[in-house]
Amino acid sequence: MDLAPHLLAAVDFRTLPEQFTNGLFLGSIYALIALGYTMVYGILKLINFAHGDVYMLGAYMAFFVSEWLGFGPGSNKQHSNLWNLALMLIASMVLCAVVGVIIERFAYRPLRSHPRIASLITAIGVSLFLEYGGALYLPNSPPPNINELVNPYRGSWDISIVGPGKKFVQAEKDTVAQLDQTKAAYDAYMNAHPDASEFDLPPDGNALRQAYLAARDKHSDAARAMSSSGVSIHLIFGDLIIFGTSVLLMGILTYLVMFTRAGRAMRAVSHDFDSAALMGVNVDQIVMFTFIIGSALAGAGAMMQATFKGTALTTFFGFVPGVKAFVAAVLGGIGNIPGAVLGGLLMGVSETTMYWLGYGRYADAIAFVILIVVLLFRPGGLLGSAKMEKV
Amino acid sequence: MNDYQQRLIVLAGLYVTLSVSLNLINGITGQFSIGHAAFYQIGAYATGYLSIHYIQAFAPKVGGDVPWLLLMIVVGAIAAAIAGLLVGLPSLRLRGDYLAIVTLGFGEIVRIVVQNNDALGGSYALANIPRIQPIWVSLLLAVVCIAVCRNLLKTARGQTYLAVREDEVAAAAMGVNITGVKVTAFMIGSAFAGAAGAVLAHYEGVVTPQTFTMDVSFIILTMVVLGGNGSITGSVFAALFLFYLPEYLRDLKSPDGSALIISGGAVLAGLLAVGFGVAVIRWALNNAKLARGTRVAAYFGSVVVAVPIFFIARVGIHLIPTMATTQVQAGQLRMVIFAVSLIAIMLIRPQGIFAHHEFSWTWVRKLFGKPGVPTEIAA
Repeated sequence: MDLAPHLLAAVDFRTLPEQFTNGLFLGSIYALIALGYTMVYGILKLINFAHGDVYMLGAYMAFFVSEWLGFGPGSNKQHSNLWNLALMLIASMVLCAVVGVIIERFAYRPLRSHPRIASLITAIGVSLFLEYGGALYLPNSPPPNINELVNPYRGSWDISIVGPGKKFVQAEKDTVAQLDQTKAAYDAYMNAHPDASEFDLPPDGNALRQAYLAARDKHSDAARAMSSSGVSIHLIFGDLIIFGTSVLLMGILTYLVMFTRAGRAMRAVSHDFDSAALMGVNVDQIVMFTFIIGSALAGAGAMMQATFKGTALTTFFGFVPGVKAFVAAVLGGIGNIPGAVLGGLLMGVSETTMYWLGYGRYADAIAFVILIVVLLFRPGGLLGSAKMEKV
Repeated sequence: MNDYQQRLIVLAGLYVTLSVSLNLINGITGQFSIGHAAFYQIGAYATGYLSIHYIQAFAPKVGGDVPWLLLMIVVGAIAAAIAGLLVGLPSLRLRGDYLAIVTLGFGEIVRIVVQNNDALGGSYALANIPRIQPIWVSLLLAVVCIAVCRNLLKTARGQTYLAVREDEVAAAAMGVNITGVKVTAFMIGSAFAGAAGAVLAHYEGVVTPQTFTMDVSFIILTMVVLGGNGSITGSVFAALFLFYLPEYLRDLKSPDGSALIISGGAVLAGLLAVGFGVAVIRWALNNAKLARGTRVAAYFGSVVVAVPIFFIARVGIHLIPTMATTQVQAGQLRMVIFAVSLIAIMLIRPQGIFAHHEFSWTWVRKLFGKPGVPTEIAA
């Protein structure tokens, strides 16, 4: 490992707020996936390895729906609207819910009475099956990505927290006068000699051109220095939509879990499986319900990642976010719904922090390091209990 | 025997070593480690690096290339054992599924660190490892691995491994040092994996991080699970079977001599047929009231009925245009076969084909009708 002599050499503190907000937006998708992991673990005590691949299928579904709507990779259809996005979102969520239920019914339910390791191994098998089986039928190379024309909200906002330094503003203003002057001279020369090619000018024309280019470079340097001397956050509308939709979905989930009968049954089953069954809860139905919700959230996350971030889709692309989301769930306290959200946001922030610190190559490894640290020192997670089970 | 067949034999020996060593950790000691490829990688890279830089200087001193290779095998084993110690010690208080994730994470960390380290070739390859390629080394390593694991279980010390698998608390109450047992199991298992890595590095001459992805860990896990968690015989058979089957498929030729191409629809129909067969077997397993004869009939019946289902389903699926035209190379099916066999064996017989049984001469006697002692290692 090549540690630079100054570990923080690449760090620029002015970009910290932007990296932090980027981390929050990234983390909101991890939180959506982590919710699926944490709910299934809370109820069945099973780490659903296949969850990342259900996420992948949701992204592919969004891709196919976008193609059906006419926004295939090569098209240039210009008019997109909110209904297209809503349709893609609903289609992804429904497909993921269906796939989740099928996996639970045929791969996990028969093994419920067996030791948990059996279900874990089966989950690994299902994950491999979805990845490699999908690779036989789904477009994998070249990896497709959703046409960005589907997204009608492609603008961005620049929020300035601290304005640019006065010196830099003054320096930029100073270069403007010189720029205008040289440009005027050059333009006058070019207008007077309409047949001259700009790459082959006689000496006097060339001098004017060089002066103009020099002034233009000085101006753009000054402008760049000015803009980076302040602290600002660059918000892309897509990221805001992702964050907003995630918050909305988590709100709906909270309502479902806290204020409905089915939600109460879910909490009961996750507290004590057998007692809940004895109290008349239809455990099979509740498990199915949990898988539906968890997988639908993952599908929503997948659709948003694929549409607003334009990720290239391969059948293997769900694996890494799946592992990171699992670490997020463990970090927050597995089985704990607010924990999954907190863990997801923290994972997002930690990943962008790695990029900010200049160690982007190890951005994926940080997830595993966090996992090992959490499991060794606080297996209950941040919002879980601090006790370590002995038996 | 040409190069290709030679290579298959060497790799088969390595996979046998890997699956028997993983079996020691998973099946015999009852831990759940799914990051075995990390130790494989550590052995390969450590010995590869040493060979590149020091073989010129030291090989003549130890008497040639092959003794150097044997020395490297020992060095690789030690390096991987140290890694096994590092992984094993802190992970002891973790339950099964958490331990699995930690080992998986460790595997990925090793891979990422190696990938980002230019001294080890970065994400390209560690190349120019001197090639020392006797076939018998890999086979000898497999035999040594099997012998060590088998004889370990015959000693009193070895029985403590089984005790830890069966019930840790009871074993601790009986005075077994469960910490020591688990760590030792990790170290022995990872040592053999490291030795296998050393053989690989010197046979191939090139090692890349792509050779040691998580898929390799899952392949070895599938071999252990299919053969039987806890059965050395099972691991050996499953390793050979799961290694040679995709190679055989890759060689299949269609009648006109070109590589066999299967249509996507046929693959899907095959999956449906397998699914149907598994469902029938599960129905037979779930119905305790069935007489033994009916149950056996159901097992055979699942296979007999699955075949026509395959053909009918294929005809039906080919009606969908995209399914009829998707081409699948037989070689692409390799991982799909692994995944399907893993799911199927977990649904039908989670303890694996051989369960806890081992091959032994009493088993042969039983086959010939003479009742003997039970063939399981532990009841």
